[in-house]
Amino acid sequence: MTNPLTELLAERQAHIEAGATTPLPTHYAVNDLAAALHPETQYLRITKVVNHGTTAKSFYLAPNSAQGTQHLAYFQAGQYLSIQLMIGHSHVTRAYALRSAPQAALHDEYILTIKLVPNGFVTPYIFAHWQVGTLVTASAPMGQLTYNRFRDQHHVLGIAGGSGITPFYALASAVADGTENFDLTILYGSRKHDAILLGDDLAAIAANSDHVKLVNVLSDETYPGYEHGFINLAIMQKYADLAHTSIFVCGPGALSKFIASEVAPLHLPAGRLRQELSGQLPAPTPTKTTPATVQVTVKIQDTTQVVTANTKEPLIVALERAGIIVPAACRSGECGWCRARVISGDVNVPKIADHRRAADREFGYVHLCATFAKSDLTIEVPVHDLANQFG
Amino acid sequence: MSQQYDVIVIGGGNGGLVAAATAAKLGQKTLLLERHNLPGGAATSFVRGRFEFEPALHELANYGSAKHPGGVRQLFDWLGLDVKLQAIPDAYRIINTGDNGFDLRMPTGVPEFMKTLITAVPGSGPAVKKFFGLAVESAEVFHLLASDPTKVTAESLATAHPDFVKYAHRPYQTVLQELGLPAKAQEILMAYWCYIGIPGDEFEFSYFASMVVSYVAMSAYLPKHRSHEISSALVQSLLDHGGEAWFNTEAEQLIVQDGAVVGVKTAHQTLYAKQVIADLNPHTVYSRLLDPDEVPVMALKTANARKIGTSGFLVYLGLNQSPDELGIKDYSTFIDHTWNSRKQYQDMQKLQGNDFMIMNCLNIAEPDCSPAGTTILYATQLFDDPSWQNVAPADYFRLKDQLTEHVIQSYEAATGLKIRSAIEEIAVATPATFARYLRGPQGEIYGYYGQPWDQMLARALTLQQEDEPLPNLHFCGGSGYLMDGYSSAYQSGCMAAKLAANKNQQEVAAQ
Repeated sequence: MTNPLTELLAERQAHIEAGATTPLPTHYAVNDLAAALHPETQYLRITKVVNHGTTAKSFYLAPNSAQGTQHLAYFQAGQYLSIQLMIGHSHVTRAYALRSAPQAALHDEYILTIKLVPNGFVTPYIFAHWQVGTLVTASAPMGQLTYNRFRDQHHVLGIAGGSGITPFYALASAVADGTENFDLTILYGSRKHDAILLGDDLAAIAANSDHVKLVNVLSDETYPGYEHGFINLAIMQKYADLAHTSIFVCGPGALSKFIASEVAPLHLPAGRLRQELSGQLPAPTPTKTTPATVQVTVKIQDTTQVVTANTKEPLIVALERAGIIVPAACRSGECGWCRARVISGDVNVPKIADHRRAADREFGYVHLCATFAKSDLTIEVPVHDLANQFG
Repeated sequence: MSQQYDVIVIGGGNGGLVAAATAAKLGQKTLLLERHNLPGGAATSFVRGRFEFEPALHELANYGSAKHPGGVRQLFDWLGLDVKLQAIPDAYRIINTGDNGFDLRMPTGVPEFMKTLITAVPGSGPAVKKFFGLAVESAEVFHLLASDPTKVTAESLATAHPDFVKYAHRPYQTVLQELGLPAKAQEILMAYWCYIGIPGDEFEFSYFASMVVSYVAMSAYLPKHRSHEISSALVQSLLDHGGEAWFNTEAEQLIVQDGAVVGVKTAHQTLYAKQVIADLNPHTVYSRLLDPDEVPVMALKTANARKIGTSGFLVYLGLNQSPDELGIKDYSTFIDHTWNSRKQYQDMQKLQGNDFMIMNCLNIAEPDCSPAGTTILYATQLFDDPSWQNVAPADYFRLKDQLTEHVIQSYEAATGLKIRSAIEEIAVATPATFARYLRGPQGEIYGYYGQPWDQMLARALTLQQEDEPLPNLHFCGGSGYLMDGYSSAYQSGCMAAKLAANKNQQEVAAQ
């Protein structure tokens, strides 16, 4: 009797023998789609700079095909780019929301509007160096301050403080041009009428769309037709039925905290308040036993180096100061790109910024942007093998 | 030439992680290279708000209880993994929303499962009993095959298991038909085909049947902290045994000397190794990591003869109500308007009208997986070529929403449950997502499709013969000898490491 399995193996052999000897594909449609949506790195060139007074600038960006970026990645309004910079010996990243509409990306244009932080580390550099022709290295669009029709209410109340307006500008543009289908009311907090970043452009978008409403809230002066004071519960309730509204907040940590405390008494269903933090995490309260600085032994592949870390700064800063190109994007603990292994030593991960996976807590991994040293440490950092790349 | 490593593993998916941990445990100086910043490939997790989602695992097979451990538990114990897994209470709920539809909950335990099936399909008793008789025999033979296929041949199987070889490779559906199982019973027994992606009229009986027995008799298991817990524990095991794991490091090229693989190039390093294990799709290795003239003709023919496997579309939901409040009682719910698996498979080749879905509620298996008063629910669909072939970036987000709408609507309609208003977090993975993170051709998640000559029996019985398409190069993972699936990838990684370690030991002995 024949053995069916012997026949099966003969059949396999025959199919393999009959296999083509043509080269295998090097491109696949689905992988190309993934690469177009999520390029490892976007190499950009500044094509235009617009000043908004002396404290803010808009940078228009196009793909720099000479470095291999043919087209800009499409995105969802509300997303950001992580920009990579070399300042002195430091390799740093900063997240900036895309201010332009997603539609513009299909025509290869992004706009970033950046506000000068006078004593900051990065924005003064950008203001001094970025001009038409400057090459900029960026991540793919990322972040979750985007509208989702399954998750969010049809009415979104966008609460912006200062340069936190940029993702809402993109959302307003996307609603106005029909890319997104929801109603957006923006409560935009500024100090004074003359200091409203992008105020006229936003007003124009709102004037031309039935689905976008703009409410300016000035803290430091009164102005006809504008609200005065802080964006509090009363103002929110004046412009939204909060029982049927999703609230998006973008701005300094203090704003997010204040809004959260204002709406707390309403006991809104979880998920109705969504925030994206901007700016570095505040340092944890120092204890008597925490030294001001510690030595961190950093293992990268088969190399080791020792850097000094200030215990009041997230670990990522110490590594960047030492010229290490740390993988990083959101810088608020959330995205996990800067995940690293603590081999020995004590660290502090502030609860508010601890977005780690449960198993990472158990196996000793941290996100360097949301971790502070408490003692000398040994850590292993997966510096990207192509360190000029993201991912 | 200096040998820096005994074994380099490229790709840290399930197969690669076990391969690296096993090689290190066997005393090999081992390096794992992983392109992503996390281990596991699909076996990871992601955090959105207060939820940590399971991206990929539905049911870990072959784990078993402490008292009756399966091969995977034995492997994990041997590697010293610090993991906590627990059994999933029921097998599955299957809903046919079409004409003559049904809605059934199938329990675990072979007697209980048989009883439920026979009650649901009167008159099926004798055939169901015969089915489980064959299935249990299949499971026993497959246990031998899985644990070490190099000790088994077509001839040794024919001698030791003459009955098994008669039906082993025949199509599952054909055997069910011949056993006299009524159509409805066949449909109920078809649920698991989607885990391997081969429709029942083509899926070899012995593998399918042993999969049914494995899940029903041994239960399926889940880790407490999503797949990332297992992946992290495997990295820890590798490190504990003196190995190294480099993340964010891509193997760009295999170094070939005199026709044999002798190492790996990364962006900045040239690393030599006596053996290289690739947890990558062979298509990727042959088209990207080797020069065309370095790919042996047989390897090229084999790759060209094979068909790229299926990809997936998953909707992950974090809900702000508990399963009790929502009325959810089932871990796995399989839903379609037809349970003709050939029809289901054809529907997966189109963007519209693909109704097949599995909905999983993680809290039913692991109540503490999300905060009190919340639920993690995720839907899985499969998509095959050419469904996503012509999707442009500008259409992408709208298409995601459209397919998500279809999934949520179908689930609510099939179960009568309402989940939409409780959605607090949502994430969606598409074939492009899998292409992005896993980098398989066309975003495949199942390695190669199981054409009749390329299924488990044929792959396992040719493992040794087809190992090392180039000397010192071994494969594991989804394209491996046990096909796709977590337990399969784990065991293929273990086997690849043993083959590599054996070869190194033989060379030492020969010197």
